[in-house]
Amino acid sequence: MQTEKEQPILSIRDLNAWYGDNQILKSLSFEVQQRQVTALIGPTKCGKSALVRCINRLNDFTPDFRFTGEILFKGSDMYAKKTDTAAIRKQVGMVFRKPRPFQCSIYENVAYGARISGINRTSQLDTIVQKSLQKTGLWDEIEPILDGTPEQLSTGQQQLLCIARALAVEPEILIFDEPCGELDPIETVKIETLVRDLTNDYTLIFVTNKRRQAARVSDSAGFLYCGELIEFGTTEKIFSNPQDTRTEQYVTGRLG
Amino acid sequence: MNALTTRPELRKKIVLLSITVIIEGVAFIFFWSVLRKTAATHMQASSASRTSDALPNLLSDLNLILPMSLLAILLGIVCAFYLEEWLSSTSWIRRFIESQVAFLTGIPSLLYGLLAVIIFFGYAGVFKATRTTFQHNTALFYTEMLIFILMVIPVAIKATQEALRSVETPIRESTYALGANRWQVLTQQVIPRAFPQMLAGGCRAMSQAFAAAALLTGIHIWSHTTGLRGLPDRFMLFLGGALLLSNASSFLTEIYVPASTQQN
Repeated sequence: MQTEKEQPILSIRDLNAWYGDNQILKSLSFEVQQRQVTALIGPTKCGKSALVRCINRLNDFTPDFRFTGEILFKGSDMYAKKTDTAAIRKQVGMVFRKPRPFQCSIYENVAYGARISGINRTSQLDTIVQKSLQKTGLWDEIEPILDGTPEQLSTGQQQLLCIARALAVEPEILIFDEPCGELDPIETVKIETLVRDLTNDYTLIFVTNKRRQAARVSDSAGFLYCGELIEFGTTEKIFSNPQDTRTEQYVTGRLG
Repeated sequence: MNALTTRPELRKKIVLLSITVIIEGVAFIFFWSVLRKTAATHMQASSASRTSDALPNLLSDLNLILPMSLLAILLGIVCAFYLEEWLSSTSWIRRFIESQVAFLTGIPSLLYGLLAVIIFFGYAGVFKATRTTFQHNTALFYTEMLIFILMVIPVAIKATQEALRSVETPIRESTYALGANRWQVLTQQVIPRAFPQMLAGGCRAMSQAFAAAALLTGIHIWSHTTGLRGLPDRFMLFLGGALLLSNASSFLTEIYVPASTQQN
């Protein structure tokens, strides 16, 4: 489907990052293609989360964080001085490991992003909420309880709700930071199917430490180890014909 | 979720807390009546119009203490917001203030009361001259205010900081990730979640202040048997206020369960 060569939506050039004196990312460079799933795999504590948090500027709140290098979003520098951080975060959404719905009704949870962008008309909000929930496949299940609290949903449903909440602001890129870490296998399958479906409209970055999951959902993959990007390429290449011995060891389960 | 506990559990908690409050109330009224009788026997000769003086005295005390403690708590809350939300955890201002706050909250309120007494006695002659209320004497008024502020602000700062920290990072981050700015995150997510705990902290701070005030008045009563107009009542007012506020504080902390304990 994605045969023609497109302009990469996100390109990262020579990114180094530190927390205090501890260097967590070492000269990473790669490009994310539009409407593809890019998986980032690697053992825990290898800098996957730190990397994706750079991409939507969540590291701004971490004291002692500093970095060098460039992150280009649609060709313009994300960390340029004039950049509106809130606007960047609206375009680069994020779904976290633990589903954390807000303390309000299910409807308000999904409508939250639209509300803070200044949309207040009920009819508009209704459409946004319905569309986002339909995209995640949650609409039929929770339509009768839209005014209920999110606590009555299962963990998997809560995670889907969080995805719907992120989709409601119409991001260009959606980052999944180990979205299935807390879910059971059936819920995981649901999320994985959803991730594949979402590629029609969005660019996805999928962080996981499960090799097979990455192989199932992604179009291209990068293997991170100790802060270094060991290898980056199409999923097929990474998993069936890795160039680096460490990548081979990792995908075959002998490393990490 | 930082939310109310389940309903049957809540009912049980409310019943238990109410029983405690009733027992405290009965003990309190009993103690008050005993104290009034003792004071009355001491003062048979001194003043006939004791009871008629009591109410205005009480009201003027409340008039003094309530605005002062509310102001101190507000200052503490603002200070805590500044420390927690604006300064980074590595800033030396924050480290300095936090160490001072830790030091001041660690001191039992009894010591503050004693400190106030020492300052009172430091003004030789002033203490003996106070026949009526505290606020008729500027030196005593400022001492009391100083002690109050010294005591209330650190507790309020610490409680508010803890309340703000109890709002989990993922909640803040997922709000930021939706494109919210710092002000929206603070007003729409952090404050509503932290509010019950902040309120409980404020109550705790006021309760400590009231306890110290009760101690001061108590010392005044027992060191002077003459000129007691309305003092037992004032003592009981402070004591009652301390009890009530500490109860309110525990009520709030019991009812609202922080996220970390309810859901893992």
